[in-house]
Parts: sequence; C-alpha cells; structure tokens
Amino acid sequence: MPAEGTTAPRAGETTGAPMVETEARAVSAPAGRAAGGTGRIAKVGVIGAGVMGAGIAAHCANAGVEVVLLDLVAGAAARAVQTMGRADPAPFMHKGAARLITAGDLADGLPLLADCDWIVEAIIERPDSKRALYAQLDAVRRPGSVVSSNTSTIPLAALLEGASENFRRDFLVTHFFNPPRYMRLLEVVTGPDTRPEALATITEFSDRALGKTVIPCKDRPGFIANRIGGMWIQSAINHAQDLRLSIEEADAVMGRPLGIPKTGVFGLLDLVGLDLMPHVASSMKASLPADDAYVLGMRDNALIARLIAEGRTGRKGGKGGFYTRTKDEAGTSLKRAIDLWTGEDRAEEKPVLESLEAGRKDLRKLVAHPDRGGRYARAVLLDTLGYAASLVPEVADDLASVDAAMRLGYNWTYGPFELADRLGPANLASMLREAGRPVPPVLERVGAGSFYREEAGRLQVFGLDGEYRDVSRPEGVLLLADIKRGAKPLARNGAASLWDIGEGVACLEFHTKMNALDPEVMALIGKAVAMGTKGAFRALVIHNEGENFSVGANIGLALFAANIAAWGEIEGLVEAGQKALRALRHAPFPVVGAPSGMALGGGCEVLLHCDAVQAHSETYMGLVEVGVGLIPGWGGCTTMLRRWAEAPRAPKGPMPPVAKAFEMISTAQVAKSAFEAREMLLLRPTDGITMNRDRLLADAKRRALSMVEGYQPPEPKPIRLPGASGRAALRMAVDQQAALGRATPHDIVVCEHLATALTGGKRDHTEETTEEELLRLERQSFMALLKTPATLARVEHMLETGRPLRN
Amino acid sequence: MPAYAAPLRDMRFVLNEFADIRRLQALPGCAEMQPDLVDPVLEEAAKLCQEVLFPLNRSGDEEGCLIENGVVRTPKGFPEAYAAFRDGGWAALACDPAYGGQGLPKAVSVLFEEMMCSANLSFGMYPGLSHGAYSALSKHGTDELKDRYLPKLVSGEWTGTMCLTEPQCGTDLGLIRTRAEPNGDGSYSITGNKIFISAGEHDLAENILHLVLAKLPDAPPGTRGISLFLVPKFLPTDDGRPGARNALSCTSIEHKMGIKASATCAMSFDGATGWLVGRPHKGLSAMFTMMNAARLSVGVQGLGLAEVSYQNAVSYAKDRLQGRALNGAAEPDKPADPILVHPDVRRMLLTMRAGIEGCRALAMLTAIEQDVATRHPDPAEREAADDYVQLMTPIIKSFLTDMGWEATATGMQVLGGHGYIREWGMEQFVRDARIAQIYEGTNGIQALDLVGRKLGAHGGRYLRRFFHPVLAFIEAKGDDERMAEFILPLGKAFGRLQQCTAEVARRGLGDPFEAGAAASDYLRLFALTALAHTWARMAEVALDRQAGEEAGFYRAKLATARFFMQRLLPETGALSAAIMAGGATMREFEDAAF
Repeated sequence: MPAEGTTAPRAGETTGAPMVETEARAVSAPAGRAAGGTGRIAKVGVIGAGVMGAGIAAHCANAGVEVVLLDLVAGAAARAVQTMGRADPAPFMHKGAARLITAGDLADGLPLLADCDWIVEAIIERPDSKRALYAQLDAVRRPGSVVSSNTSTIPLAALLEGASENFRRDFLVTHFFNPPRYMRLLEVVTGPDTRPEALATITEFSDRALGKTVIPCKDRPGFIANRIGGMWIQSAINHAQDLRLSIEEADAVMGRPLGIPKTGVFGLLDLVGLDLMPHVASSMKASLPADDAYVLGMRDNALIARLIAEGRTGRKGGKGGFYTRTKDEAGTSLKRAIDLWTGEDRAEEKPVLESLEAGRKDLRKLVAHPDRGGRYARAVLLDTLGYAASLVPEVADDLASVDAAMRLGYNWTYGPFELADRLGPANLASMLREAGRPVPPVLERVGAGSFYREEAGRLQVFGLDGEYRDVSRPEGVLLLADIKRGAKPLARNGAASLWDIGEGVACLEFHTKMNALDPEVMALIGKAVAMGTKGAFRALVIHNEGENFSVGANIGLALFAANIAAWGEIEGLVEAGQKALRALRHAPFPVVGAPSGMALGGGCEVLLHCDAVQAHSETYMGLVEVGVGLIPGWGGCTTMLRRWAEAPRAPKGPMPPVAKAFEMISTAQVAKSAFEAREMLLLRPTDGITMNRDRLLADAKRRALSMVEGYQPPEPKPIRLPGASGRAALRMAVDQQAALGRATPHDIVVCEHLATALTGGKRDHTEETTEEELLRLERQSFMALLKTPATLARVEHMLETGRPLRN
Repeated sequence: MPAYAAPLRDMRFVLNEFADIRRLQALPGCAEMQPDLVDPVLEEAAKLCQEVLFPLNRSGDEEGCLIENGVVRTPKGFPEAYAAFRDGGWAALACDPAYGGQGLPKAVSVLFEEMMCSANLSFGMYPGLSHGAYSALSKHGTDELKDRYLPKLVSGEWTGTMCLTEPQCGTDLGLIRTRAEPNGDGSYSITGNKIFISAGEHDLAENILHLVLAKLPDAPPGTRGISLFLVPKFLPTDDGRPGARNALSCTSIEHKMGIKASATCAMSFDGATGWLVGRPHKGLSAMFTMMNAARLSVGVQGLGLAEVSYQNAVSYAKDRLQGRALNGAAEPDKPADPILVHPDVRRMLLTMRAGIEGCRALAMLTAIEQDVATRHPDPAEREAADDYVQLMTPIIKSFLTDMGWEATATGMQVLGGHGYIREWGMEQFVRDARIAQIYEGTNGIQALDLVGRKLGAHGGRYLRRFFHPVLAFIEAKGDDERMAEFILPLGKAFGRLQQCTAEVARRGLGDPFEAGAAASDYLRLFALTALAHTWARMAEVALDRQAGEEAGFYRAKLATARFFMQRLLPETGALSAAIMAGGATMREFEDAAF
C-alpha cells in the first residue's frame, strides 16, 4: 500500500467507540463560490481498494451517494467491501451504506465510471501507473467530472505530465487521512490549470457531505500535516535515542504535556506500523532539497530496521513493535517495552520524571526543566516548531491552516503555532538562537507578540504581512467557541452555561469533566426552562464542543453518596433529574439536542427528552446503565417505551414496545453512528444528521427556529403496559440467556428490576400506567439496584478501569 | 506509688461479649479462640505486666538510658525483664507458627499490647518495634531472608527497628538521603544517618535488625524512589549466631519528655551491609504495610496509659477526703467527704472511663477485621475487612492517642498537686502519652491521611464498610424502645457525619486546602460517631444482662454508655459546625501576622 495516512484515531482502541477531534478552531477553505458555483456530486468513483481507497469509498457511501469501487486485482474491491463490513473501527456508519457501493475490477469496470461526478484515484504511489490510469479515465469519464488523486508524495505537476487540457482543468489532489471516516482533515492541492469550480465542487461536497475540514495546500512534498508530522516523529525518535530516554518516558513527555495523543511517538508508530517509516523517509528524501532540515535530520536507524526485519512492525502485525505484550507462565499479560539503547525488551515501567510533574500544566516549565524529560521536550519542540515556522509560506499561506492540519490530521490539541504561543514566541526564538539555530522570519516578525490574539471578542491570527486578521470560518459555520469569546452567558454555574446564540435561540452547554451530568447540570436545565418560559428566548439548543456530548451521569458522585449510605439524597437527585428533563420536554418552547461523540446513559436521556435532535453523524448514543448495574433513571425507560409504542411500523399491543426497550437497555446497546441511532429509535426518523461537526450548531439552530412557529409541547400520555405477565415473559428470556451462559448472576438481578420498570410493575395490562407511575418505578428500581454490593462493585470497576465488570 | 491491675473483666467483655467472636473463630487457625484458652493467656500476660514490667516503670523513667562509646544501657532491671518476656515466649504471641510463633490473632495480642503500655510503655517499645520489623519482613522479604531472620525475631532473641527519619526528613520521606549501593553479590552497602530510631541500640538482645529506607543509585526522585533494606547490627553466621559487627553505630541518644527508658537513637550507617526487602523503589509501600499495624499499636499506647491513669485517679478520688458534697455530707463521720462525691471529679472520671472503654471496643473491632483481612479464605471478605482497617487506622491512631493525652492529663488533675509531683506517678503517664500523638505519623498527618487518601479511595468504598453496617444497625434497632436513648443520639451523630463527609469530599475535590482545614475536626467527628456506635452496641449487650450475675458490671456499662451519649457525643455538633464553616479564616490570615 502507498504510504498513506500516518495517523489513526486517538481513541476508540480502548472504548471501542471511535472519537473525533473536537477542537473548535477549525479552518476550512473559502468555498470559492465566486468562481462560478458548484456542481452536484451524486456518484463517486474510487480506484484502488486498499486501506485508503476502500475507506474513502465507504465514507462517500456514508454520505449517501452512489459509489463505484474498482481495483486492479480481480475481486479485490468486492473483498474490501466485505472486510470493511466487519472492521473495527467500522468504516461504514450503517449497514445500508455498504449497499451503495458497486465493486468491480478495473479490467472491465471502467464503463461504470462514466456517470461519476468525482473519481478519486488511490492506487500505488508510482507516477507512471497513475498517469496510465488517468489516460484510461479520461477516455470514459463524463465531461466536467472531477478527478483527484489521493497521493501523499507525488507532486501534482508530475502526475499531469502528458495529460489532456480538459483533464488538467478537472484535476486536483485530495489527500485523505486514515481512517477516512474518522479523520476530519482533507488536504487539497490544485494545479495552475485546475478549474475554480472543480475545487469549489469538491470542497463543498467534502465539507458538507463528507464532513471534512478542507485545507488548501501548496504542491509541496507531504503537503502540510505529513511534512511537519514526519519531521516531528523523526526528531522525537532521534532525540529519545540521543538523550537516552526510555520509550515510556519519551511517550509520556510527547503526549499529554504537549497536547499530543497519549500514544506519544513510539506508541503512534506501533499503531500505524513501523514499516511506514522508511517509505516516508525515502519519498521525502527524494523530493525535498538536500539542505531541508527534515532531510538533514534523517539517519539510518538500526533498531527500526531490525524490528521491521523481524516482522515487528506494530500492533497490526501481531508481533508488536516498540511495545509488546507477552504472557508469563501464570498466563498474566505482561507489557514490555524495548530499550532504545540496548535493543532488548524489558518490563514496561511507568515513567517517573520531575519534568513531567513540573510541566503538567505549564509547557514553559517542562522545556525549562533540566532533567532528560525537559531537555527532550525542548529539543523536539525546537526542531518541530522551528521547522513549521520555516514552512510558511512554502506549504500554506496562513498559520491557522497549518495549525488546523496538525489538529485534524494528527489529533494534536494544539497546532505548532498554538504550541509556540504556549511557549511564548519570543521565548521560542531565543531558545532557537541559544541553540545556534536560525529563527524563521515569521517568528522574528511576531516578536514579543503572539500568533493568536483576541480582539473585540474575535479570534485573530498573525499574518505574514505582520497584520492580524480574523480567523475565517466557512460560510454557515457557527461555533460556540466563537460565540462565547467575549460574551457573557445568560446563566451559568460550575457545570453548565446558557448562551445567547442569536435570533432568540439559546444554547445550553455542559462543561463538567467528560460532560458528566450532575445536580448542577440539572439545576441549570431547570433554570433554562424557567427563563425560556418567561420569554428570555424562543428556542433552546443543547450542545457543546467537548469531545463527547456527555458520558452520562456522574457515577463517581453517586458511588460516593451510596458508600456513605446517603440514600435519601441520591433518590432526591434522581427525582430532580427526572423533573428537570420532564420540564424540558413540556416546556412551552422547542428544544433541539445537538450531540457529537458519546451520548451515553444520562446524556442519551437528555436527548430522548428533546423535541428534536440534530446529531453529528459521529454520535454514539446508548442507554448503557446496566453496564454499571443500574437502569436508566431519568426517564430513559419511559421515553424508550413511548418511542416504540408510537413507532409507525412497529407491531401493536402492550408487549412489543416493552420487549424492544428491554432488549436494547438490558444489553446496553450503543449506536456506533447517528444512522445506527436512528435504526434503534434513539433518534426519530425526523431527527437530522449533520456530517460536518463544525456545522452542527448552525443546523440545530435552524431546526429549532423552524419549530418556533405554532409550537405545542407534547402532552403527557398514559401508556398501556403488560404488567406481571409481561414481566414473566421477560424473565423467561433472561433465564434462557443465563442457561446459555450469557448472563451473569448480577445481570439477572438487573434485568429483573429493568423488567419491573418497563412492564409497569404489578399492574394488570388492562390498566393504563401514567408517566408519573412509570418514573416512580424507574426510581424505585434504580435505588434498589444501587443498594446491592454487586452494583456498587460494577460502578467502582467502571470508574477505575473504564471497563464494565461482569459479576 | 501508683498501682495497676489489668482490666481483664472489660477485656473479656469486648472480646467475648461485645465483638462477634464467631467471626474470629471462623477464621483458619482461630477455632480455639474460646475463653478457656484465651483467659489463661490474658491472666499470664497480666501477671507479667503487673509483677515484672510495672514495677520498673517509674525507676526506668527516673534512670533513663545511658550511652557510652556507642553502647546503650537500658535502666536497671530492664535486661532481666526482657529475659523474662523472651523466655515466656511473649514475642511469639502473634507470629506465624511456621517461624516458631504461636499464631494468636491480633484480637488477643492487642489486649496484651494494652497491658504492656499501661504497665511500662518504654519497655513495650522494644518488642513493639521488633514486631513491626517482623511484619515487614514476613510480608516482603525473600524466603532466604525470612528463614534466616524471622525465627530470631519470633523467639525474641533478636530485636528489630524501623529506620525512616533523617535529620532533614520526617513526614516527607521523599527527601531521604541514605544511599544503597549494590555490592555485586546480592547485598548492598548502606550509607547515611538516621535519627529518632527507637530501640536502635540497647543491651536487651544479642542482635538488632534494622529495617532501613534508602535510595538506590538509579532511584527516581521523591517517594517513588525509596527502597527498604534489612541491615543487621551483627552479620549472622551460617549457624545463625551474631557474627561480624556491621558498619553501623549509635552516635547518640535523645533526651526527651517521656518514655525515657526507651532508647531513641541517632544511627550512623557507614557502608553497612544490607539486603533488599521487597522490590526496588517500592520500599515505602513495604514499610506502609507495617506502619498500618504500627499505627494501631500506637493508638493502643494511648489507651493503655489512659487506663492506668484512670485506675489511679479512681483510687485517689475514693481515698482523698476534701470538702463536703454539695448536697450535704456523704460521710458525716469523717472529717471530709472523699472527693469522688464532687460532680466535677465524677465528670472527669466518667469522661476518662467512657473514652477508655469505647476505645477499647473500637480497637477490638479493628483488630478482628485485621485478622479477617489476613486470614479469611474468601478474597472478597479479606478486601472488605482490609477496607475497614484502612479506614479506621488513622482514626484509631489519632483519636486513641488524643484520648490518652487528655485522659492522663485529666487523671493528673484529679490528684491536684499530687498529680503534678513525681511521687504519685501520674505526671509520668502524661509525659509518656504525649509522644504517641507525634510519632508514627503525627495526628495531623493521620487526619490528612483520612481525608486525602481514605475518603476518596475506590470511590469511597472504604467508607461503605463503616456507613452501611452502622446505618443497618440504626435501622434495625429503630423500633426497640429500650435502645432509643442510645440510637437517637447515634443517629444524629451519624447524620452529621454523613453530611460532613459529603461536604469535605465535595470541597476537597476542588480545593485541597479545604479538605486539609477540615481534616482534624472531621477525624474527631468520625471517631466520636464510631465510638457512639460501639457504645450503643455495648449498651445493647448490657441491657440483656443487667439483672443477672455481675449485674454491677453491666449496670456500670449502661451508665457509662448514657454518660457518653449525653455528655460527650454532643461535641459532634460543635465539630460539624466548625467543619461546615470551612477554612477561609485559616487561609486568609496573613502569614506576616503570625
């Protein structure tokens, strides 16, 4: 495979749920509409069914367009589609997406491309192969269709040698990152002949339909992200060896203190594959000038060569890489780490460095620390930030694009210029001078200032001309971070805030750790309802720009309260939560939830109480309470019953909704995308899905405004439930699972309580159950479970390990 | 001259009647913990303490220890007393039978410890430190080290020490400077200075085993870089006799307020040979396993001294005739009434008694949980018991030693001027009691341990082991009218404790200063609530037995329980108010104004 995509998603490996970058300072290309409007993309062709090509095809299918996927090897495209159906993290957002892909062989499939609006080439990184393919494409493609290459190393000019006039006009480079569904960066390079409309069409489609942040790049090797990222990796390896750091130390220093994913550098290489390194190096060496700092820093690394030769290319190979896992005689898993100096494996050790402690919050303290961790951070940052600063305007015209590329392409929390601001540009410049290194002009020029500043509530970035300009947002993008800058909230407490987002719409933001819901959040929801009822705003959006919408109720708080037997307080909190969410549901104004990332447990329940939801496609919803031995207690059971009871195509009668809700809640099912959430009725068919995270708030706001006119809150309605006989049926189903060894002893207890809450307790199915009664049952079951030691053990285990306890 | 009689009746009460003795008997190796086996042990222990150790208490205090050319001499009679202790097999009481121990549970040995502390705390220091060394070595030492050294500690032939403190570091052990260099043969060369080493040098035993905290050459900074070493005074020969003198010495002994017969040594290690105990850099956690046991023992020191002070205060109050009872003469035929008739004297004596008996019961509960934590076959039971021990350790250490200091001072007060002069022995108890609030982690540190480490551990799981059973008890006895006078105040204190626990945890999350500001008051609130629980349970036992044999004993128990509930427990209200007031007044006071 070509040396594509040097990164993978930051998380997901531990939680099973993929995550997306959330930094709000994303910059997208100006959409270039002025150049003549954009064409529609209804069908996409992808050539090359390797990891990148297949992933791009899958993601286009996620966007709902028809896709043709072709490969040179007979049957390879069809196999790739099949494999992707089982892959984790999943390239597809839902099962139906796969059916949009027509797989074929290049040998006879070219005619399938005739009606494609966009053809993406993602074949082997050889100019001659690519050029030969382009000639074939040119023959079959429809006039005006756009062709792009996913190359990461070959200059656009080289690709177009001998190409037709029309082809040159319709051609550009679109560089996706791996995996294409999850990585939000798309680097785009145009040539001198590229039609502005071709760029505009692809930008528009990639932004809105694929959800990418499109960064225009110059036609330089590695574009932005891999050029700087590659330099960083190289520097981080070299200095770790020179300064004799252990790989654990190196990764710990590179990780959290710098705002880089905790895999650091060696963990990252294990993740993406060590064998990528020589490929990247040789292609950079071939295409960059010999005096480029990247090339000058290259060295033959005997250790990496040896590991590759031994097949230890990282996690995917199964033999590990820098880190390995083995088992001792007793079968306990041992984590081992390689010693960079001796090349021998030894037990992994938690790094202990004073600099790590000192630099936990302050990057300046880290780089100023005299120990090897501090010296390491300083050396790598001088290389990387100095190099990045020297590349403007070579690779891009503006600093914000460089930062955005590193955030979105490498999952850094801060781009290089943002990191420079954290160090202080003047401080960085003087460190460079001390080290006898050149100070790049842009760094000289910014002097004692910073690369970013806030001016009259707006974020501005330093330009090469020495002027500050507003950081631009693509048209229609509304970011809460921008709104908050310089504004005062309508209401606020330690856990949540209420913001005016214009046109009479308010936005309720959670801002607790991991956006866990606690009594303060519920209090602010209550306050927002009261304010809205009094007319402080016309509609409410519930949204935040955290990594996750909400991971659920603060179970740490609940566990502590349970441990001190504060039962009355806990029940009071459950009830207060129920009240707040019911008030939200019955408020006299429309409420729209706008989640992205995880919306689990209580976070999911908040959304279930909204009048409408506009979800980011990467939203992972689920009522997962049974994982910690509880059941949804904030109306989750009640609302799910109603969802299924009112679903148009669902079977009628009191039992089917109960069975559906029971199945979903008792197995803690989590939707792996907004589309899956829709299939599970966690979202209604009428709820919207936004592919681009940056456009979520604007879409939600539009949705909310559209509901204002003539808005009527839903009336509380009683529901007919199956009662004791239904409970008996659920009990039988659970017993069956237990007999098959699929339910643990405590699963059975939890299911018993869940069944009680869902079937209406002791009532007979001839009677109707009111919402109040259902909520009381939820509360009762919740409290009963919280008093069991097995539930407390589950909660504790989840808090301490992040994994469910199967007891 | 003071007197001491071991409070065997009350000891049997807490062990056999108050505590759930079946829980103890169900443990492996504890089936025989029946009164007919335990009582003779306690009686023999009482004899040793009353007849051998107690008579040396005052003379030991007057004489103190002497150092000459690095040789420390304990006061007259101490070597002979130690020989009697050793030959009686007392060092082996709670040790593993595999190394010659008798395998008695902590629940029994804790009673012996109390007696020793009442009789002669200075003397008790020597075997006490040995037992600490025994615990650390038996838990973390290699088989080779254990085989070589444990039998000697168990037999009492050799004694042990814990060498932590250095001139520049007491509480903050991260600052340790003592170094350990590998010798290449598996042993290490230890170099550095230690101070405040109890039993560091003496003439009671033929060899002394020092457990020394030191840093290896590649040690990470701070407390995560400390290792534990065994460094004997004499390197043992192959047949287990003291051989060549190791390169270590006692350079001086401290002059101090109390426990004068306990040698508190400054030790110098000059390339002394030692062996690693436990894993490299993990010495502090190895040391902590024995420190938890040691902290419980220090708590019992406070209890023991309070007890002996109480006994002497009572006999003085009965004999001393001064003034007349406020409501008319009690013994008109005598020139004056005994001072026992005066309400304030009764207040003092009952305060001492309620503290002593409540603490004895609390120590027993914790000792039994220690036994469960080490002996129970079910890991879940062991975990639950260990949680309880972890939680109660700082409370026992701190509250029992505070109680010891307050009670001995009160006992001295009962004697008036005679308490202040040496002759009656009462002032020695006060002086001896004072150190227990300081060493083994000051009581302030204990409070920080409680709020900083124990409260939040595992989401508050340690707390569950106290709050759930106590609430269950309150709920179970809620309808029992006879119990109402005990349950109502207990419930009130429990509610205050719940509220303050939630509040301290909440504030501490965002602001550690607030947790620190609340710590000592919170620990005391916790301890009083725990005591209220033990008193309510003791009252329940006594209620059923007050008409039978020994009616006097049970009626006194009930009366003391009532005194505790009505006169001592209300302090929880003041403590809770102080805690809820927060730490602003302490934070905002200007440093320069101090």
